[in-house]
Amino acid sequence: MDAGSSSMIVMRGVHKAFGGRPVLAGLDLVVARGEVLYVIGTSGVGKSVTIKHLVGLLRVDAGEIWLAGRRIDALPERDYQVIRRKVAMVFQSATLFDAMTLAENVALPLRKHRGLGAAAALADARRRLDEVHLADLADRFPAEVSDGVRKRAAIARALTLEPEVVLFDEPTTGLDPQSARRVDRLIRELADRRGVTAMVVSHDLASIFSTADRIALLYQGRVHACGTPGEIRGSVDPVVLQFIHGRASGPMETPGF
Amino acid sequence: MSPSTPAAAPAGAIRGSIAAIGTATLGAARDAGGIVVLAAEVLRSLFPHFDSVEDRGSSTDPAQSPVRSVRSRSLRLRWPSIDGRELVRNLYKMGWRSLPIVTMTALFVGGLMVIQFASFVQQYGARGLVGWGTGYAVLREVGPLMIGLMFSGRVGANNAAELGTMTVTEQIDGLQALAIDPIRYLIVPRVLAMMITLAVMTMVGDAVAILGVMLSSQLILDIHPLTVWYSLVQNIGVGDFLHGMGKSLVFGAAIALSSCYFGLTVKGGAIGVGKAVNAAVVSAAVSICFLDFLMTYLTA
Repeated sequence: MDAGSSSMIVMRGVHKAFGGRPVLAGLDLVVARGEVLYVIGTSGVGKSVTIKHLVGLLRVDAGEIWLAGRRIDALPERDYQVIRRKVAMVFQSATLFDAMTLAENVALPLRKHRGLGAAAALADARRRLDEVHLADLADRFPAEVSDGVRKRAAIARALTLEPEVVLFDEPTTGLDPQSARRVDRLIRELADRRGVTAMVVSHDLASIFSTADRIALLYQGRVHACGTPGEIRGSVDPVVLQFIHGRASGPMETPGF
Repeated sequence: MSPSTPAAAPAGAIRGSIAAIGTATLGAARDAGGIVVLAAEVLRSLFPHFDSVEDRGSSTDPAQSPVRSVRSRSLRLRWPSIDGRELVRNLYKMGWRSLPIVTMTALFVGGLMVIQFASFVQQYGARGLVGWGTGYAVLREVGPLMIGLMFSGRVGANNAAELGTMTVTEQIDGLQALAIDPIRYLIVPRVLAMMITLAVMTMVGDAVAILGVMLSSQLILDIHPLTVWYSLVQNIGVGDFLHGMGKSLVFGAAIALSSCYFGLTVKGGAIGVGKAVNAAVVSAAVSICFLDFLMTYLTA
């Protein structure tokens, strides 16, 4: 995409099925450069599936994905290595490596991609952990710390590559409200100060309305509604209303319930 | 479907079991193929090679031109790079910590062989053959085979479980998302560590087993350890030792590749990890025995 163009991510008519069950059925989504877009919807609607396509962990059955003007959906696996340095992903389960301390976890991409030696990478990792207020816990193993700590360490690790896009999969799920707000603030700061484009999968209404630039509601494999927090809040669409008011009954059905 | 008649029931059962055999065969073929592909990827990472990479800058705005942009590709030379820390960590975990159990097993294997030998030695007075017979068997066959099977049970199973757990907890996806190739970072050091460790363990095991032979010959048959030693060194050549070492390197690769393959392809949580460990140990044992037969036959 030309320098003047504003779309960072473009997904067009994306289809994805698992074992014959369609999850995404013609999803269209555009994320502007520097925007924080929240992807919301009920469990199993394909929110995580959507963002995993952007780093090539899943491949589309049909449709197109463009990232900063390049079509990426058909790239071979090794070309994704280049993309993954620009597009970081923070998984729902943090996915820190069990066998390493938090500092070693953060140091790993620094060693692999920045060419730092082991000692320099560890020092840099400690500085980065300090930024997310985890300096005291740098030498603990992931199994020894809480979910909130793991998630913040995972965010610190994802940011080591200075990505242009960060994908967050339920960053505040399972966190206490205070830690959750801290993560929200971190996401907002990334966009405001570093111009990072963020796509955030979330159920957390407090995060969604305080942090998002725009919100996309996924329903039946497509973007059902997309707009600013104000527009979503003012929507009279029954599906939107059901989601933001957390009603058990309505047009939206949660699979399995 | 017509209701099953008495004649149709056994036919259905036969069809069912044929289908089961077919499914199992297809599964085994898929696994064998997967292991071969993994082996190729590991080999590829171990040697300098060219990668075809996409050139950047030839991009088009999808809004203006939804046609696929023209891309050019260029070749880039990639040197093998092995993560030293992962290699050392695995060498320590797999090697150093396996040492006690290898020593114990080998000592008893040596003793065991003397006991089996004892009746022949006494019957024929073949005291001078103890070192030759046991040494030949230990170096060429029993050493690599026993230690290989034990290594598979201890290290292969552990490795399949560790990689399997990393797979189900998305740690492998996490690695990929950090633009780190799991094959290069996780698998290559493990394969190398297992091959090196098993070879070293086999050397240690051979030595300890021969020590066990000498000790038990003295205790059971009252043969002086030096008699055993001379009989060994006069009749056994470097070739016999290398034959066994070659086997242990191949067994190490087989154990490593099968445990990595089954670990990386786990599906379905804790149950899946259990199945993967099971499959890794069984397939390693089968391939060790098969490869042993093959190598012995070819070099006989």
